Order: sequence, then C-alpha cells, then structure tokens
Amino acid sequence: MASWHFLKHLTYTLGAHSTTVLSRRLIRSSSPALSISSSLTFLSKHRHKVSYHCPSHNNNIPIKFRIHTAASSSTALPDKASTPYLSVLIHCPKDNADVLSEALLCFGASSVTMDQNDACQTLDEICITSIYPQEEDINLSISHAFDSIGFKEKPRYEIKAIEEEDWIKRSQESFRPVEVTKGLWVVPEWSTPTDVQATNIILNPGHAFGTGEHASTKLCLLLLHGCIKGGEYILDYGTGSGILAIAALKFGAAFAVGIDVDSQAIESAYQNAALNNIGPDRMQLQLIASENSASLVGDWTSGVVQGENTREIQTVTGNNTYDVVIANILLNPLLENADQIISCAKPGAIIGLSGILSEQVHHILERYSPFLEGIEVSKMDDWACVSGRKSRNLDAC
Amino acid sequence: MVVWLLSSISNPNHHNHFQSSTMSVPKAVAATIRLRVPAGAARPAPPVGPALGQYRLNLMAFCKDFNARTQKFKADTPMSVTITAYKDNTFDFTVKSPSVTWYLKKAAGIESGSTRPGHVTATTLSLRHVYEIAKVKQSDPYLQNMPLESISKSIIGTASSMGIKIVKDLD
Repeated sequence: MASWHFLKHLTYTLGAHSTTVLSRRLIRSSSPALSISSSLTFLSKHRHKVSYHCPSHNNNIPIKFRIHTAASSSTALPDKASTPYLSVLIHCPKDNADVLSEALLCFGASSVTMDQNDACQTLDEICITSIYPQEEDINLSISHAFDSIGFKEKPRYEIKAIEEEDWIKRSQESFRPVEVTKGLWVVPEWSTPTDVQATNIILNPGHAFGTGEHASTKLCLLLLHGCIKGGEYILDYGTGSGILAIAALKFGAAFAVGIDVDSQAIESAYQNAALNNIGPDRMQLQLIASENSASLVGDWTSGVVQGENTREIQTVTGNNTYDVVIANILLNPLLENADQIISCAKPGAIIGLSGILSEQVHHILERYSPFLEGIEVSKMDDWACVSGRKSRNLDAC
Repeated sequence: MVVWLLSSISNPNHHNHFQSSTMSVPKAVAATIRLRVPAGAARPAPPVGPALGQYRLNLMAFCKDFNARTQKFKADTPMSVTITAYKDNTFDFTVKSPSVTWYLKKAAGIESGSTRPGHVTATTLSLRHVYEIAKVKQSDPYLQNMPLESISKSIIGTASSMGIKIVKDLD
C-alpha cells in the first residue's frame, strides 16, 4: 500500500520536520484503516522512532502506531519540568506573616512557605520562602505585597537562584515495595522484591501517576486481580505509569493497550513494560489528543497538545473490542468520555472506573448505570472504584 | 442493583481538610506551604513541584488528591491551597475557593474594581450572581455552617467596597 511506503519514508525524515507539519502530513495521508495520534508535538523534543505494528489476531483492532522515545536518562527532562524559578527568603514580623503570605501570593509569588526550622527565626521575626517564576519582577512584586499590608519599612529579603532538580525523583526516593494483596507486590525498580514467588510488578513511575501506593490504584489492581481469568484484551484508559496494563498482563491477560493524553506517561509506561519483560506483542501504548489538554498547558508546559484537539480516540481504540476496560482518572473525564469508554468494551465486558472520591460515586452511577449491569462499588480510604459489566442489550454503542 | 463493598478504614474527613495518613497523634510540622493551583489541573511542575518537592512530599499523590477534590469547580479556577508538611514526609492540605473579589470580578467581567468605590460604580451585578457565589463559598472550610444569607450579606459588602452595585434583577 502506498501509505506503508510513506510511513517508511517518515521514519527516516522525522527528525527534520517540525511537528505541526508532521501531524498535518500524517492526517492528510492517512487512510481510514490507519489510526494516528494527532498530538505529536512532543516528538520535536526527543529522539524518536515511529514503528508500526499490525496485529494479526483480530481484525477489529485498527493498526496502531507505537511512538516511543529513545531511552533517556533522568537528565533528559522535558521542558515543562525544568522551568527555572527563583527562591526568595523574606524577613517578616511574626504577627504579619499570614497576611503577608496572602499578599505575596496575590502579587505574583507561585508559592509561599513557612518553615518551622528556619535558622533566621528570632523572637519577633520569621522567614518566609517565596518562589517566583523567572519572568516575574520580584522586587516590584515584593514591594507591592508589603505596601498592600501597610508595611512602612523597607522589606528585607535575599534572592537565591535554585538549582533545577528533578523534584519528582526526590519525592519518589521514598517509594518502597507495596503489597497490594497477598501475593501481589509493586516494587520500585531500584529495590529487590521481598517475595520472589509472588507476582511482582516492577515499576519506575518517573513523571507519571501510578506507583501502587494510592488507594485508587490499589482498588483497580484488586478489581483486575479478581476478574481476569486469562486471555483477555485489556484497555487501560489513562494508563499513567502503565501499572494497571502491566498488572493485567501479569494476571494472565493476553493483550493490553494503554492510552493517555500525557506524553510523559506514555514514555514511562513504555519503560515499565520493558522492566517487566513485556514486549509489543502483549502491550501497546498510544498517546491521544484531549479536548481539554489546552487548559492543562497553562504557564508551565510547552509540550503535549496545543491547538489540535481533534478527538481521534474512537478510531484509536476501536469499538467493542475489549474484555476489560479500566479507567483510573478523574470524575470529569470519566463523565465526559463515558460514551467512548463504554463503546470500547464488548457486551458483557468488565468496566472499572476509579480516581473518584466516595462522594463522587453517585455522579458516576447516574451516568454509567444505563449501560452497566451488576454494578459494584469498592472503597478504600476516601476513594472508590465503580465496576460493572456492559449490558448486552444496548443498541448502538 | 448496586452492591457496596467496604474495604479498609476510612479517614475522618473534616470537610475540605484532607489527611494523607490515619494517625491522630499530633505530628511534628516541618513547614506550611501556600499555593495557588488551578482546579483540576495540579501537575508535578512549578508551582507544586519545587514547593512540595523540597519537603519530599508525594507529589503525585497530592496532585491526584487535589485534582479529584476540585472536580466540582470550573477548570482552571485558581484555588488557594494550604499544605501542612510533616517531618515524616506526610502532609495534610486544605483547599479554599478563590476570594470573593475574584468571583465578583469574574461575574462582572472586569479586571479591577472601581477607583472610587461609593462614588463611581464600576459595574452592576444581580442578586442571582451573589447567590451563586455564596453557594460556592459555602463549600469552603470554616464557612460550612454559615447560613447562605450571612455569606451573601458579606459578599454584597465586598462588592460595595469594590464599587460594584448589586441590584435585584438585571434587565
């Protein structure tokens, strides 16, 4: 097919193209059978390779592209995590600390921290550490903040440039092996499994969500553990670190597809699949565009999607092809994408929904109960997971 | 038919005050962090990243928690978050909706209040606007038990100080 030749050509010339040109060319050249993600802006920032894989077992699954970046060390931070910022240590009378904190935030500070152990604490004074984005005029902001609380004296403060560091990595140093249930562990890449006989999911979540510690992840893992009998096709909707897709495969599923709107999640999931010796014959990952991603971009991110918010998820994931659809995201996306989530599942398939708080369950039930049978709600701490089987009596899905 | 399965303990949940651990013994506080974060859009990047990462707090857990709890707010509404970081790297946080002035400005579609409140009216809003704002504010911590009428009166007061006139109905 002419389109295959085009794709081969694409892999050699990918590096030279700007991303918007790339996506437009792909979209114009695509045939209906090919499903492509339109959110390829991240490709310009990483070394990459586009490979195509045609699963031969099921005609209903459209041909997918697996987009993966070259193996990158932790120094290859994407732009959104390495926005420079400045830290300012501000001296402040103790009585005014709260009011000043609010004022600083109003006048441009990203965050204001009061450390209990500050060395500069005296009887009357306290130190506030304020973080500012680099483009902010700090002297002006601080002076406005002090003026607004009626402070007459000249503000005293010191500006420090902070070394950029991977603060996510720092916070994950405390990630320990987690026993989700008897015989099922999630183990960080740098630890050794406690019980070699158990099912161990090795993970390095990176910048993506899903370490197995969160109640919502545990609820989903327990659901999968209970319902997978072997040979199922799984869709992990909002895959994050890929933990649920990987777990499903370890429990005996035949094939898992993980989709996410975050390129870092796809990258992380790809690495975790490799850590667990799962190859493309068992798991595939897809970056998809999101209608709402423009609002997530804000001031920080420069990657992901800007402008091209076409929803191609329908063509990406296909209709009625999965035995289990699991979605651990948030209430609003679960409600907005309900039609798509349901349509991805075969009649009688299990659908699991989490990332919701107990108080939000009734919204989910209201939206999903016309389509599900045998609904169960499991809870852990404040979090809940709603699951059920797709009704067999639905007309058009 | 819906089957309810309860597993594990649930935390005592004080309205919008959220705990990341189940301990009730007072813990040593390492720091108090204040941020503005858009509702539903917390990411482990600035401002969240550097502020919380410094105390080795679980960034992902905070983002997931914060985003889930702010789903009921319009996306990107700037929420005020106060995080108490404990020395053992756990944390609690409270979330407040934006200030009344923010809501009033948004409702009126203006950038700033009147330069001479009381003399020059910046704009006009209806009681319905006040009521809607009061309903949102009522979900803030510390305002949970205040009657809507009291909150509304306070909002009208703030509006007046900004030079915004409140009328019964807008034509």
